[in-house]
Amino acid sequence: MSRTPVCRTARRGRRLHALPIALVALLPLAACASGGADDDGGATTARPGGTLTFAVATDAGCADPQQVGSSDTLYSLRQTVDSLTDQNPETGEIVPWLAASWEVSKDAKTFTFRLRPGVTFSDGTPLTAQAVKDSFDAVPKLGALAVQATGYVEGYAGTEVVDDLTAAISFKQPNAQFLQATTTSALAVVSSASAKRTPQERCTDGVVGTGPFVLADYTPNQSATLTRRDDYAWGSSLWKKEGAAYLDKLVFTVVPESGVRTGSLTSGQVDAIGRLAQAEEAAIKGAGAGLVGYTIPGIGYNLGLNSSKPALQDVKVRQAVKVAINRKQIVETVFSSGTRPATSVLAENTPGYTDLSAELAYDSEQAKKLLDDAGWTPGPDGIRTKDGAKLTLKTVWFSNVAVFKPALELLQQQLKDVGIDLALTELQVAQFPALLKSGDFDAFWGGNYNRADPDALRTLYSTKLVNAYRVPASPLDALLDQQAAEPDPARRDGLVAEAQRLIVTNAYVVPVVDQRTVLGVSGKVHDLRFAGSGDIHLHDAWKS
Amino acid sequence: MTTSLLRRPGLALSVLVVALVVLAACLPGLLAPADPLRGVPEQRFQPPSASHWFGTDELGRDLYARVVHGAALSLKATLVAVAVAFVAGGAIGGVAGFAGGRIDGVLMRAVDVLLSIPALFLSLALVTALGRGTLNVAVAVGAASVAAFSRVMRAEVLRVRQAAYVDAARVCGVRWGGVLFRHVLPNARGPVIALATLDLGTAVLAVASLGFLGYGAPPPAPEWGTLISGGRDYLANAWWLSTLPGLVVVATVLSLNRIARALDGERLHR
Amino acid sequence: MRLYVLHRMGQAAVVLWAAYTVSFLILVLLPGDAIAALTGAGGAAASVSPERLAELRREYGVDKPVLVQYGTHLADAVRGDFGASFATGRPVGSLIAEALPQTLTLTLTALALALVLGAGVALAATYGSRPWLRQLLLSLPPLVGSVPAFWVGLMLIQFLSFRFRIFPAFGDDGWRGLVLPALTLAVPTAAIVAQVLARSLTTALAEPYVRTARAKGAGPVRVHLRHALRNASLPALTVAGLLVGGLLANSVLVETVFSRNGLGRVIVAAVTAQDVPVVQGVVVLSAAVFVVVNLIVDLLSPLVDPRIVLTGTGGRT
Repeated sequence: MSRTPVCRTARRGRRLHALPIALVALLPLAACASGGADDDGGATTARPGGTLTFAVATDAGCADPQQVGSSDTLYSLRQTVDSLTDQNPETGEIVPWLAASWEVSKDAKTFTFRLRPGVTFSDGTPLTAQAVKDSFDAVPKLGALAVQATGYVEGYAGTEVVDDLTAAISFKQPNAQFLQATTTSALAVVSSASAKRTPQERCTDGVVGTGPFVLADYTPNQSATLTRRDDYAWGSSLWKKEGAAYLDKLVFTVVPESGVRTGSLTSGQVDAIGRLAQAEEAAIKGAGAGLVGYTIPGIGYNLGLNSSKPALQDVKVRQAVKVAINRKQIVETVFSSGTRPATSVLAENTPGYTDLSAELAYDSEQAKKLLDDAGWTPGPDGIRTKDGAKLTLKTVWFSNVAVFKPALELLQQQLKDVGIDLALTELQVAQFPALLKSGDFDAFWGGNYNRADPDALRTLYSTKLVNAYRVPASPLDALLDQQAAEPDPARRDGLVAEAQRLIVTNAYVVPVVDQRTVLGVSGKVHDLRFAGSGDIHLHDAWKS
Repeated sequence: MTTSLLRRPGLALSVLVVALVVLAACLPGLLAPADPLRGVPEQRFQPPSASHWFGTDELGRDLYARVVHGAALSLKATLVAVAVAFVAGGAIGGVAGFAGGRIDGVLMRAVDVLLSIPALFLSLALVTALGRGTLNVAVAVGAASVAAFSRVMRAEVLRVRQAAYVDAARVCGVRWGGVLFRHVLPNARGPVIALATLDLGTAVLAVASLGFLGYGAPPPAPEWGTLISGGRDYLANAWWLSTLPGLVVVATVLSLNRIARALDGERLHR
Repeated sequence: MRLYVLHRMGQAAVVLWAAYTVSFLILVLLPGDAIAALTGAGGAAASVSPERLAELRREYGVDKPVLVQYGTHLADAVRGDFGASFATGRPVGSLIAEALPQTLTLTLTALALALVLGAGVALAATYGSRPWLRQLLLSLPPLVGSVPAFWVGLMLIQFLSFRFRIFPAFGDDGWRGLVLPALTLAVPTAAIVAQVLARSLTTALAEPYVRTARAKGAGPVRVHLRHALRNASLPALTVAGLLVGGLLANSVLVETVFSRNGLGRVIVAAVTAQDVPVVQGVVVLSAAVFVVVNLIVDLLSPLVDPRIVLTGTGGRT
C-alpha cells in the first residue's frame, strides 16, 4: 500500500472548545490518520463541487443506516447520518462528534452525553437531548435487519433528558462496549419523526439525519443518489474540512459483476468501486487509479472448530489444524494487498488486541506430531484415520465473499498435506440458524465480526450466549463477563488479552487472516478515507 | 457409416469432439497428466503457453487439466439432467398420448403449467430447495425441460398410434401393453432421441448458467460452468480463465447439436 | 369464437393458480426461512438469540401451519394483493411495477431485434442460390445458440465498452445503455427464430402452391415473401410463447451481467433471500405473460393461415 499517514497538526486549534471537559477521550494534539486515496501533498488543492460515482457490489434493499449491516450499502447511507462519537481508525480512540463530551459512570451502566449546540436535522429540526432519547428509545424495537443495533443496546433501561443538550443513556447491566457502539452508524442519531416510524417505513423511505449529505433518491438494488447539505457545520473532530462537504453529489450504483466494476473504473465510467479482489489490483493500478484499503477491526476470517465433535474434542487435533495452516501463503495468493495473516483472534487494529503470532506460526511437522500423539495415523490416501474413522472435517461456508472459494481451496490443500481432509459444504445464508441449532458441522469458515471493540469476543465465544462452536464452559466465560463490566481501559485490556490467549491456545477457533476491505479509487478522487468501523466518510473527499 | 461421415466433415468433426469429451470424462489422466486440484500458487495467472495449454488459474492450477477433469462432472450433470427430462417427460407424454381423454387433458394442463414458468426461474427455485451440488443442479435443469419432452413424446405416440401397423396389432389381439412396448414406443423413439441429443446441449448451457448465478459444484471440483463463472471475476487480467472453458462448452454443444440434426435428418430420410 | 375465448380464459386461470401453488410448494420445501436470511451470515447472525428469532417469525407470520399460510396468501393473491416483501417490507405489487418497465423495455427491444436478425438470416439462407453462402448462413444459428448468453454479454462488455468505449457497461439511462444488454438477450432468441423459420421456409418452398405461384409467373422475391414466408411464419408464431419465456429467463442473466434493475434481478434476490411473496408475484406474472402471449398467438393463427378454425372446446390441435 502506498498510503502513508498524514499528520494533521494544522487542525489542532479548531476544536479545542470541543475537547471533553470531563473524562475518557482526549483528542490527541497531532491526530494522525491514514486512509487517503492519495497523498500527493498539495500538488493540487482541494476544490468544492463535482459528482462522485461509486459502484458497489450489493444492496441491502433498505435505506436505514441503523438497520443495515452491509458495508456496501453503508458506503452511501453513512453519509446521511452522524453519530454521537467517532473513532480514530488508527488508534481506536473515541473522539467527539455530535457529542462534545461525555461521562461514563463507574459501574459502566450510565453514559451521559453533552451535545454540540446548533446542530440541525435535514428537515430543519434541532438536535436536542429529546431527539437523542427518541432515537435510542426506538432502537430496541427495530426489526430483524437491525441485529447489530439491537445487540449494542441490550439491556437498555432508558434515556434521561438532563437538560436541553444533555442526555443520559442507561442500561440494566454494565455495558462497557456501549461507548464504542455510539461511533457506529447502527446507533447514529435520527430525527424524532424518523424514530416514530416503523422499521419497514424507515427501510423504504430512509431516515432523516444530521449528516453532511441527504438521501435524494433511493431505488433498492439499483442506485442511491445523495446531495450535499450546504448548512452542515458539525463534522467529526477527525475530519479535515470545516463546514459543508466538498462534493455536490454522490451517486452509488449497484454493479454485481466484479469484472464490470473493475472495467468501469479503468475505463473511467465510475470514480470508485468496492469489493476489489487481489487479481484486479494490477489492472487498476495500470489504469492510473489507486487503492484504498482498511483492515476491519474485530474478529477476522477464521475456521471455527466444533468442540463437541469427537475428533475435535481432543485439543491436539484442534491445535494441529492451527499450525498446519500456512497463513502467509493464503494471504499472498488470494487476499488483497495489505491483508495481514492473523496474529490473534482479534484483528491487529482492534482495541485490546494482543500479539499471539508465535502461537499461530506455520509448522506442518508440529501438526503431524500433534496428530500422531492424538492417535491419528496416515491412511493409504494420505488422510489420517483412527479406529477406522477418517479425519474428515465437514466445513460449512457461504459464498457471500468472492475470495472465500480460492482461500478455502488453498486451505484444503494445506490441511491435506498433514492428513486432514476438509470437505467443503456450501450453504445459503438462510440456513445458518438451522445449522447453529443442529450443530451439524465440524468446522465453519468465516466467523468474522466487524466491531472495533473487544466485546466482540464475548458476543461470539461466551458459552452463555449463542456459542456456535460448542466451546465447553471454562474460565474464559468469567473473563469475558469481567471485561464487559470493566470501565477502566487498561484493566479491560488485560482481561481481553488473557481471553484471546485462552481462545487461541485452545484453538476453539483457528484465526486465518484479518479482514481487509480494498476500494479502487480513480486518480481524480482525493482524501477518500475509512472511518473506525470500516465505513467511509466522504465529507473530506474531493475531485480534481 | 464411415464413408458417409467422410463426406460430411462437419459431422465427422462433431463426432470427434464428442468422442474426446467422453474420453476426457472416462480417462482424464490420459489427456491431461497434470493435477487439476493442486497448483503452484507462485505460478498463478499464467497465460496459455506450451507448458500450460490453457494457462493457469488463481491458485496456479493448470486450466487445461481442470477442463479435462471437469468433463466427467459436466457430462454426468448433463446426462442426469437429460435422463430426468427423458424419463419423466417420456412417461408423462407417453401416458397422456396413449390414454387420451381426461387423463391426457389433466397431464397436458400440468405440462402447460410447467411450460408457463420460465425454465431458469423453475431451476433456480428448485436448486435452492434441493441444495447446491452437481447432482441437484442436474435434477433442477432436467425438471425444467420435462415439459418439452412430454409434448414431443405425446405427439409421437399420437402419430404412431394412428399408424396402420398399430391398428393391425390391435386387430391381431395384441394387448395394449404389448402394443405400447413393442410397437408404439420403438417407433416414437426417433424424434425423442433427437430431442434428447439436442437437450444435451441445452443442459450443458443450463448447468453453466446456474453455475454462473452461483449454484455450481462445490470447490475444488472443476465443473465447466463453475470454471467459466469463476473466471469471469478475472476478465480484466486473465481473459483465458473464462474464455477457454467457454469455447470448450461451445464446441461441445455445437457438436451435440450437429449430431442431433444428423439423427433427425436420417430419420426423415429413412 | 366468444366461447373459445371464455374457455381459454378459464384454462388460463387454472394455469395461474397451479403456477402459484407450484411456486409456493417449492418455497415451502426450501431449507431455512426468510427470517433466517434476513438476520445475515457469520458473526452478525450468531449474536441473535433464538427467542428473538421466534419473535420475528411470529411477526412475519411464518410460524403458522403451511396450509394456513397458503390459504391466507392465496386469498390475498386472488384479490391481486401479493403481500409485502419479507426482505424490504415493500408491497410486492409496487416492487414488480417498478422493475417491470425496465424488463419490458429490454425484452421487447431484444424481441424486435431477434425477429429482424432471425428472419433476416432465415430469408437470406433460403433465398440465396449459392450453396456455400447458404451453408454458412444455416450454420450460424446453431453456432450462436451454442454460446452461453452470459458469456456473450461479458465479451460484448469487454470489447465494446471497456476496450473501445462505445457503449456504457451498465445503467438504465437512455438507448445507449440498452444496446449491449438487448443485443445479448436477442442473440440466442434470434438463433431460435432463424432455425424455426429457415426450416419451415424450406418446407414451404417445396409446397405445391409455391410451384403454382412460380408457374403463374410470380418473381422469386414475391414468391419468397408473399407466399412462402406467410405460411412459414406460423410455426415461428407458435413458439412465440416459449420465446417470451426464454427472454424473461435470460433477463435474469443479462440483468446481472449488465447491472440493470428488473424482474430478473428481483427474482434472483428473492430466491436467495427466500422472499416467498416476491417469488410468487414474479412467477405468477411470468405465467400470465406466457398464457396471454399464447392466447394472442392462437387468435392470430387463423389470420395467418385461414385453414385453422377455432372451436370452443380445445382450440387447435
